[in-house]
Amino acid sequence: MNENNNKIIELKGLTKRFGKLAVLDDVSLSFEKGKTTVIIGPSGCGKTVLIKHIIVLLRPSEGEVYFHNQRIDDLSEKELGKVRTQMGFLFQGGALFDSMNVEENILFPVRQHSDIKDRDKLKELAKTKLAMVGLDGFQEYYPAKLSGGQKKRVALARAIALEPEVILYDEPTTGLDPIRSDIINELILKLQKELGITSIVVTHDMKSASKVGNRIIMLHKGKIEADGDADAIQNSSSQVVQRFIKGEISETDLNSMQVSFEDIKSSDKK
Amino acid sequence: MADGEQKVSMIEHLGAGVVRAVGHYGRFARFQLDSLVASVAACFSPSTYSLIWNQMLAIGVRSVPVVAITGAFVGMVLAIQAYDQLAGLGIEEHLGVLINLSVVKELGPVLAAVMLAGRVGGALTAELGTMNVTEQILAVRSMGTDPIRYLVAPRLIACLFLTPFLIIYADFLGMIGGYLISVPYLGINGNAYWNFSAGGVELWDITIGIAKGFFFGAAIAGVSCYKGFHCREGAEGVGQACTEAFVGSFIIILGIDFVLVVIFKAIYATFWPLKLLL
Repeated sequence: MNENNNKIIELKGLTKRFGKLAVLDDVSLSFEKGKTTVIIGPSGCGKTVLIKHIIVLLRPSEGEVYFHNQRIDDLSEKELGKVRTQMGFLFQGGALFDSMNVEENILFPVRQHSDIKDRDKLKELAKTKLAMVGLDGFQEYYPAKLSGGQKKRVALARAIALEPEVILYDEPTTGLDPIRSDIINELILKLQKELGITSIVVTHDMKSASKVGNRIIMLHKGKIEADGDADAIQNSSSQVVQRFIKGEISETDLNSMQVSFEDIKSSDKK
Repeated sequence: MADGEQKVSMIEHLGAGVVRAVGHYGRFARFQLDSLVASVAACFSPSTYSLIWNQMLAIGVRSVPVVAITGAFVGMVLAIQAYDQLAGLGIEEHLGVLINLSVVKELGPVLAAVMLAGRVGGALTAELGTMNVTEQILAVRSMGTDPIRYLVAPRLIACLFLTPFLIIYADFLGMIGGYLISVPYLGINGNAYWNFSAGGVELWDITIGIAKGFFFGAAIAGVSCYKGFHCREGAEGVGQACTEAFVGSFIIILGIDFVLVVIFKAIYATFWPLKLLL
């Protein structure tokens, strides 16, 4: 019973196919309330597809998605609207609306889903959310004027505007320098500590994963390769996991590169 | 054996093509249906009025100059082209009927719509296409808002209601352009010019021209928003979507025009006798 209460999101036998290609292959997972779970894996392993299924931006080919023990993958878009307000999604590029300034961006979900009409209250709300990500004072800026890291922080402020229970981060540190990456990591930790938010982070940045993750799951070719805390992953006996952590190319890939390189050399000689 | 395999592969290709085409038209029809439902709902929801006003400014008000210029040149060109033939027959005073009838029934509405397909359609597709490839549309969905209701409905409503008004501008400037060339420049008697025009152009002719605007506006918004929502990634994808949106709406405008001409003519013939202009 207790275990059931702790599960906020559950995926059962999730399979996603694009044409004949199975990007996710029978993935079953559950995510604990108040914890940060990091999903790691090389580019193209299905991480982003997986996280998009959690908020049902993609529908599974097979399998089920549960939120608070309620099945959500079969709901209509209209019914999903309510579920989605309880989750925040941080897109890889931020996905800020470039026709709106920072304040309007943050207030977008608030205006759509709450009855707050008072201008001062709305301004105060935007200010609080921006202060949380350390960007108070940027209200009037347009996204085009912000740096990559600032965009992600504003996007994070927008994602927490409706005080969601869960935040889904899609590659939050990709494309940022080490210091900007660490700011994002600190923010993820801060939101978990101060607001008790459940976070699911998709990344290929091992440093970030070990820093923020209570639990790390490695995805490889659409299947779960490893699952455990940072130490368990570091000490995993799986070759795939070890190669990913150390950033080493596999023998097979190396051989295929060597073969094609030698092919080019021999055809040049001819 | 190889021959048999080739046949199977040909059938497979054909089948895949048919499945793709059906899927494409199905998606298009569903998108239009969703947009229609969302637009009707938006008309009764005061919270979307500000979005509609904004689109009306961008789509309608800012298109007035280009549409007016289009109309004016249509009227002027018609006057120059037709004058010699009519003057040869000694009936140049009928030029007003020819110009004004062509402008209000056909050329004003169609050319204004084509101009709008380029100006408004291109802008809509580029804007929504860029939002699509930068995941902004997905972001709208992720925040529990229906992107069709938030993004498409205001644009569709603005296009639908303002295209007829823009056609009125095109008609008006077309008449002025035709008059300026015919009377002050070619020296036709002004009174006769307007008398023949008033005798030949009926309220019906003006009405059907403006009525076409609703359909043209819907076609421009419908095709452009669909293309924006379904464009492929990258700058090339957005560019291609813009081209397809313009060509698609242009062809649909011409097709709708033909169908409407047939329908309106049948309606006219049912109630009124044939009107001879000369």
